[in-house]
Amino acid sequence: MRRNSREVGAVEQAKSLQSSRFMREFGILFVFAGVLGALMLLSPGAFARPANLMNIIKQASVNGILAMGMMFVIISGGIDLSVGSIVALTGVVAASFAHPGEYPFLVPVVLALGLGALIGLLNGVGVAYGNIPPFIVTLGMMTIVRGLALIVSKGSPVFGVTAAFENIAGAFVLEVVPLLVVYFLVVTGASAFLLNKTVFGRRVYAVGGNEVSARFSGIDVQRIRLAVYTISGLLAGLAGLVLASRTVSGNPTAGQSYELDAIAAVIIGGVSMSGGSGKWYGTVIGALLIAVIGNGLDILNVSSHYQLVIKGAIIIFAVLLDMKGKRK
Amino acid sequence: MKGMLAVLLALTLVLSAGCGNATEQPADSVGNGAESREADLSDQRYALLMSHMTNAFTMEMSGAVKAKADELGVQLTIFDGEHDVAKQISQAETAITQGYAGIMVEPVSVDGIKPAVTAAKAAGIPIITVNQRITDQELADAYVGANPVEGGELEMRTAAEDMGGKGKVAFLLGPMGSDGQIGRTKGYYNILGQYGDIEVVYEQTANWKTDEALKLVENWLQTGADLSAIVANNDGMAMGALKAVEDARLQDKIKIYGLDATPDALAAVKEGRLAATISQSTTEQGMLGMETIFKIANGEEVPAEIIVHHTLIDKDNVGEYIK
Repeated sequence: MRRNSREVGAVEQAKSLQSSRFMREFGILFVFAGVLGALMLLSPGAFARPANLMNIIKQASVNGILAMGMMFVIISGGIDLSVGSIVALTGVVAASFAHPGEYPFLVPVVLALGLGALIGLLNGVGVAYGNIPPFIVTLGMMTIVRGLALIVSKGSPVFGVTAAFENIAGAFVLEVVPLLVVYFLVVTGASAFLLNKTVFGRRVYAVGGNEVSARFSGIDVQRIRLAVYTISGLLAGLAGLVLASRTVSGNPTAGQSYELDAIAAVIIGGVSMSGGSGKWYGTVIGALLIAVIGNGLDILNVSSHYQLVIKGAIIIFAVLLDMKGKRK
Repeated sequence: MKGMLAVLLALTLVLSAGCGNATEQPADSVGNGAESREADLSDQRYALLMSHMTNAFTMEMSGAVKAKADELGVQLTIFDGEHDVAKQISQAETAITQGYAGIMVEPVSVDGIKPAVTAAKAAGIPIITVNQRITDQELADAYVGANPVEGGELEMRTAAEDMGGKGKVAFLLGPMGSDGQIGRTKGYYNILGQYGDIEVVYEQTANWKTDEALKLVENWLQTGADLSAIVANNDGMAMGALKAVEDARLQDKIKIYGLDATPDALAAVKEGRLAATISQSTTEQGMLGMETIFKIANGEEVPAEIIVHHTLIDKDNVGEYIK
């Protein structure tokens, strides 16, 4: 009798383990599908059009690119608050070097990416070698870099860029897919590959999961840290470049609170804030969900004040779902 | 892994050397004291309290005040309130205890700055507000600036006439509750009262920002709303709207209006892409502000309100404004 109940218990435990894993992996898909379904019902004419779906992916792209970098950092057990400021600085620098007839096309591109990676690297040095908590290093960097963006731009937007620069984000592939979306796809593909198919990816998980055992198993934890912050900075530089191209100007105030949207996308996607776990496709869904909510509510003409409330509620709900899945 | 890192490191180091030029440009064109040979006047210090220093408008405004201070041969210190009313109040207190000859405030908040104004008056230091009226304006010695309602009316009247008095319009608003947003939007509705056939289909804030306006207008255009015009509280948002409309190839149907006469908006007006922008004569406001506080501090009488008027800039007169 006793043995029997123990067996039943084990079976139930296994079952609930299975369902919890299912919830953890795919719970967010239900939320996503639910939001999509609701918006399609509320606004069948405008929301569900193919053109609008492409529009949503386009609007998710900048945040999606940032979120991919943020994902590496969070899986490794860190956080990067500086990405929004990096978007502003690299955007301003790129636009400054993109005036017609001054520098070759590649100069602003290389500068934006290089500067982003450099700032990320400095974050990494602070975290890995300075042993300063990531929250503090990147918070300080966020402020410094925002100041630099204002200094470089003398406090005003930088405009007057070449047509080629405008095309970095504005051009289309096969006349329907904006290049912005292509960058998002490429970054996603590369991130997924790095995370799942390389030794480096496994080490990022290991460092975030348990730093001590990662160290004992011979992983150079400091180097992994350096790498994830550099990746995040590099992708923030890319985001700054494409945002400057998209808005045809470099704005020193651009990117404010973008780090929060990137973190939100990662968390909604089920990546644990304490590091060590999370999947790339979750982050993609997270970025898409944020864009869908913004787009749908704009189309329904909901005041931006309510949009903030709704967005925040969905983030908390998504994490609640995620934690519930893990606790079982 | 090692190789990749090495490449990244090398790349970033090389680049950091390369972009040193960009980041090391001195930005501090304002601030600090002016040098003057007239000993008596060069002792006079004035404080300019700006709400923030992060856009074309505030940079032009503070630059104009600085230019006038140099011309008058007095010292000027510029304080950056960073959008924080508490910070602006403490900056005012600093200016008061430091014994400045006069204070100009471009307020962060139309209500919140009252304690600073009261404190300056109690200390016998002249204080005026520039660009934005405050709720208790009678407490200050003078107001120098534009009337945002007038600016909004001029912008909307231009749009309404271009629309032939009928059609659908969308408004892009500044941060809700800011003086510019409230006044300019009030101006829009004052004009709409005279045009019963114009319908406002969208009205939403984009917080003065180009990227927010771009996203918002992209989404509006998805609904197939048959817009004739988009009227924006400032040029930054108008430029975002312009990009969205041009991307959707609707520039022949939807005309866009801005306000501020920023350099990029003026260029767009010249190219015939932006229908019009409105100048709030920022430089004039700054110059007059400095002149007014100087007069008060040196015992001259000034009117309680000095209003600088808005001007419409469209393709016919844009040439006069492009520097």
